[in-house]
Formats: sequence, C-alpha cells, structure tokens
Amino acid sequence: MGSSCKEEGYLSLENMFHIDRNEECLIVDSFSEREETDDVATLVHSTSNETHIYDFHIVYSFSYKVPVLYFHGYQSDGQPLSMDEIENDLPPSSSKILRESKWTYMTLGEHPYVRRPWYTLHPCATSDWMKLLLGGTSMKDLDISSYLLSWLSVVGQAIGLRIPLELQQRSVKHPSASCFIINN
Amino acid sequence: MAAESPTSERKVVVHLRATGDAPILKQAKFKIAGSDKFLKVIEFLRRQLHRDTLFVYVNSAFSPSPDELVIDLYNNFGFDGKLVVNYACSMAWG
Repeated sequence: MGSSCKEEGYLSLENMFHIDRNEECLIVDSFSEREETDDVATLVHSTSNETHIYDFHIVYSFSYKVPVLYFHGYQSDGQPLSMDEIENDLPPSSSKILRESKWTYMTLGEHPYVRRPWYTLHPCATSDWMKLLLGGTSMKDLDISSYLLSWLSVVGQAIGLRIPLELQQRSVKHPSASCFIINN
Repeated sequence: MAAESPTSERKVVVHLRATGDAPILKQAKFKIAGSDKFLKVIEFLRRQLHRDTLFVYVNSAFSPSPDELVIDLYNNFGFDGKLVVNYACSMAWG
C-alpha cells in the first residue's frame, strides 16, 4: 500500500441486500443463576418485513496510509438507516466486536469521494493489527489483493461480511480475487 | 447406535502462540473436536488470559471468523499435524 498511486479511486461493493425476515424469536434465558424463575422466555416480534440495501466502499487513507471501510445502508425507498438500525442488521458476533473491541469501532465520517457522511470503521488501529497479521512479510513482497484479503478478514467480522476460506488460500501470488470493482 | 463419521470425531491439535506483549500460556497445546467452531478456541483464550479483547489470527495472514469450523481451518491452514493460532492483547493507539 506504500507504492505510489497513479490514479485515485476506491473499491466498491454495492447493492448488498439484507432481508429482514418477519419472524418471531423465542429467547429462553435458562442459564442465569440470578433469575428467580427458570426458563424465562421472551417473545420478540420483528415488525418490519424490510429489505435493507448496503453499499461498501474501501478507500485508501493518505493520512493513516491504510485502507478504510466506508459503508451505508438504506431502505428500499431510499431512506437512510440509522446506526441503531444498522446494528440491528449485524450478526451478534459483529455487534459484540464493534461494541467491545479496541481494534475497530464505527463512527460517521465524510466519504472523501462521495462527499457525504457515511459510516466508517475508524482506521487508527489498522496499521497495528495489519502488522500483526502480516507477520514478517515486507510490504514489497505483498500484492494488493493479498493485503486486502488479510485486512478484510478483520473488517469483515466487524460488519458481518464473511470471506470464504478458499479465498484466503494464498499459495498463488497473482491477484485471483477478482471480486473487486475499482471505481474512479 | 450408528457409528459417527470419522470427520466429526476427529480431533485437531491447536498450538496457541503469543505475539506482541501477550502473556504466554503454560499450557499452549490442546486438542479440540474438528466439528467445534473457532469460537471455542477464542473463548478458551479469553478465559485463560482473563481478557475479553483479543486479536486472534492464523499464520496465513488472516483472522478467522468465529463461525468457521476448526476442521476446515486445519485442513486449509494446518501444517505439521497442528493448527497454529496466534493471539495478541493490547496495542498502543495512534
């Protein structure tokens, strides 16, 4: 990522659909020792039958010198989703990571190209955990798709995007991950 | 009772490796059922180190999702009969 960029742009993954099923969830709390009654059950209704649409962009930060994730979600009528609504869409493990981890946290930031406030995972710890992930590998020996796959394995967990294990097989050096679209 | 398939019974040897300033575990090697999720390894580490925020990753430069099955991780990224899992704790900001 330290090589000179001849063109500016960002990677985008757009129109990811999150379908909120209208289902009843039965939550049984039978493990708490402090409850007076066992088998306390809570019925939760999901009142909306909505499809939420998400756009994800990977933008290079020249100040932090790392990629940064920008994303936003909206309802099918274009109405933007609030941070609470987005957190509701996340799987429980991702919400936990966002709330408790000191490696990644979600804030609002101005998207440098779209020029509007998008949600972003703050990049201040990225360089530190990327160093851990890459071990001793020098940046010179790393192609961009390898770097991004490592980066995505962490960032993806925070926002509920799962990278297939097969993609993480890095035995071939050339960029085989052609799922990215580069926007200028 | 029908016999279980060999895959589900298979145990995977996991070797936990401290990196950065993370404390080294006295017992760093253990066996876990291949059918277990990676989450179990993460939770084991959290309990042993008494820390909730850990950075856990494998040598192939990625951090596995807690939902991945240990046997899949071993088949893809294990070597020498074990799966090496690295962990780190605190990290300075900025």
